[in-house]
Amino acid sequence: MVSFARRSARFPGVFLAPAIITLAAIVLFPTAYLLYLSFRHWVVTRPEKYFSGLANYGLVLGSSTFWHSAATTAVFVAASCLVTLVLGLALAVALNRRFRGRGVIRALVVLPLLIPPVVAGFTWRFLLNREIGMLGSWILPSLGLNASMLADPNLAMVSIVIADVWSRTSFMFLILIAALQSIDMSLYEAARIDGASSRQEFTFITLPLLVPAIIVGLIFRAIEAVNVFDLIYVMTQGGPGTATQTLSLYGWRVAFTSFDIGRGAAIAVVMVIFAIIGTTLLSRRVLR
Amino acid sequence: MGGSVDGTLAHNEFVTKQLHTDPAWKGFRLMSRSLRYLLAIVALAVIALGAAQTRINVISFSQGFAFPDLFGSSGTEKSDRLLAFEKENNIVVNMEWGDESAVRQKVLTDLISGTGRYDVILLGTDGAVQTYGYAGFLEPLNAYLESGDFDAWFDLEDIYPSIIEANTVEGNVYGMSYYAFGPGMVYRTDIFDRYDVEVPTTMVEFEAAMAKLKAGLAADGISDVYPLTMRAGPGEEPSLDVTGFVYAYAGYPAWFEGGAATVEDIKANKAQPDFTGAFRPGFEAFVRLAREYGPPGIATHTWVDMMNLYSQGKAVVLFPSAINAYAGIGSTELAEVRDNSAFAAVPVGPSGKQVQSFWSFSFGINAASRNKDDAMKVLALLTGHDALQAFADMTVWPAAPYASVMRSDTLINRYGEEEVLLNEEAMRDSETHYFPYIPELADFMFQIGTATSQAVSTGDVTRALADLQKWAVETMTAAGYYR
Repeated sequence: MVSFARRSARFPGVFLAPAIITLAAIVLFPTAYLLYLSFRHWVVTRPEKYFSGLANYGLVLGSSTFWHSAATTAVFVAASCLVTLVLGLALAVALNRRFRGRGVIRALVVLPLLIPPVVAGFTWRFLLNREIGMLGSWILPSLGLNASMLADPNLAMVSIVIADVWSRTSFMFLILIAALQSIDMSLYEAARIDGASSRQEFTFITLPLLVPAIIVGLIFRAIEAVNVFDLIYVMTQGGPGTATQTLSLYGWRVAFTSFDIGRGAAIAVVMVIFAIIGTTLLSRRVLR
Repeated sequence: MGGSVDGTLAHNEFVTKQLHTDPAWKGFRLMSRSLRYLLAIVALAVIALGAAQTRINVISFSQGFAFPDLFGSSGTEKSDRLLAFEKENNIVVNMEWGDESAVRQKVLTDLISGTGRYDVILLGTDGAVQTYGYAGFLEPLNAYLESGDFDAWFDLEDIYPSIIEANTVEGNVYGMSYYAFGPGMVYRTDIFDRYDVEVPTTMVEFEAAMAKLKAGLAADGISDVYPLTMRAGPGEEPSLDVTGFVYAYAGYPAWFEGGAATVEDIKANKAQPDFTGAFRPGFEAFVRLAREYGPPGIATHTWVDMMNLYSQGKAVVLFPSAINAYAGIGSTELAEVRDNSAFAAVPVGPSGKQVQSFWSFSFGINAASRNKDDAMKVLALLTGHDALQAFADMTVWPAAPYASVMRSDTLINRYGEEEVLLNEEAMRDSETHYFPYIPELADFMFQIGTATSQAVSTGDVTRALADLQKWAVETMTAAGYYR
């Protein structure tokens, strides 16, 4: 009699099929369909639909609006990742030490992560509102900043970075504090015996050992920042004008207001390619 | 109980034998068990389908505000009126609520995928009616309206012609209005009196009034009350108002050369976009007023911001989409706002024509709906005279598409006859086609609004219009208008 294990080994496909089918249905099919759409001319307001090859990609890459949005995305991603990294690291190092009330402070630091980006966006939008917001109409003007944070083309970008950093720093904090807690304390003890200062401990022990976690955190944050839509949509709708229009907003706009489904799909595909290239470069350079 | 046990058994045996000799019964026994189950399921399904009510899916925004007579103040109840309608027509009305943007996107997704998930859909006359109408996504309502079957719901003589016009594309009526508004100016009478400002009748007077208000407020050290609130956020929102300015300054919808405003006109004359030409004076005036007299955050403001500022007493004039002031007056807690607000007709521009701002919150029928006749009955329930009267009674909004509702006691008692008639005039006399009716309208509205936001935030009108012109030429060329 053939054992169950041996029969399973003969037909692995049978047992893997449910998982493969599920994966194909929820991941592969939408991705393949997106790719298919990106090769088609499909503008809702026009009757004809046909295979158009790389025409959509040509339109996208030849559009100044696309490159403007790509630049806006790059600024947002760089600023947001950098600030969340610095703040997340600082918080992780500070809250890795034992002190009274540490648990409460850690919980407070993690709290923004539990707030959906839409809610965070609305909160910051009201806070920064120049006419009625606590920050925008009261605190900032009293500090001499009279401009409207959300209506000024330059300050609007600063505003959404602040909101994003507030919302996502706790994510970086969680990754880094987990990594900090896994560092062998004997390394610090040995360093102290050798007379190392706190700064030297941080520079020569903590930071090098945190690099893999930092890279993983940055990759996650960068992917998240490239795809951020809800926060910006709620706070500025990509404005004023197109000052905070990132690629995800531009893609949505092309698909849902220009009704150009093919071009919208091409933008999404280009975003995926950008994200893959960026994360691959980042992980290969540092994690090899 | 009659009969013996033995007798019953004998009878059962007889019946069983008879059944076993019956050819039909033999055939049934020959079927496999699964086939029998399948047949039973099919039979049950057929019975269930026959007895089932038709489900009509409706999608809308304004939960709890719209249709209070049908879905209550929470938007989730079903009133006796609705239940009676459902019973009488063997229909289940399923209302799906959502945020306005989300609803618009759900409607679009449903229409382009042709699933017919929603039978009765939200439409606006600022792009959806035109774009979806031209694309064939909407069911024309003409036949229903002309059949006489819906006369009890819709009195076409009572509905303002402008409302029907705004919902009509190439002769096809695609939407029925729930509420609508024309242009207007709502202002604070107490502040006008304090600074001795007259109600302006021309745009020149309007700008002078704004300057006087600004100077007066500044002299009194008031820095958190702004002479004017308008909307200039990115996206389609400000376009209704900006293009209303353009119309008043140019005297026609100055989007394309020569004022071409239909597909046929644009194609026949190969009319190029004119955003850097005749479009500019009205656009520039809007931007100037917004920057000089509006609140600092105006480049991101939507109708909600206008409403909030007015209701909080932080704006003296709300213009030209006056309906947003009524929303603010209705919700304000400030007596000075509630008691000292008045409505005035909008000023005329240099062309002699009034600034425009017209919008209808309409509903239409999805062409992919599998139950169009029942969907029309639901549309009649939602937008018929009784629903609109109930809406006016509950919200006291002077925005009814029916003359009889506008002149009803509820509105007259609240606003007085003069103000109601001014509102009626604004709606009735609106030039609803003050922008072109073309398939690309929704896209243009979005771009114009975004250009407005850009110009208001940077002050660079030339750059914003140059970008808009370039985009418009590319779009119209790609759409095949100039072949």
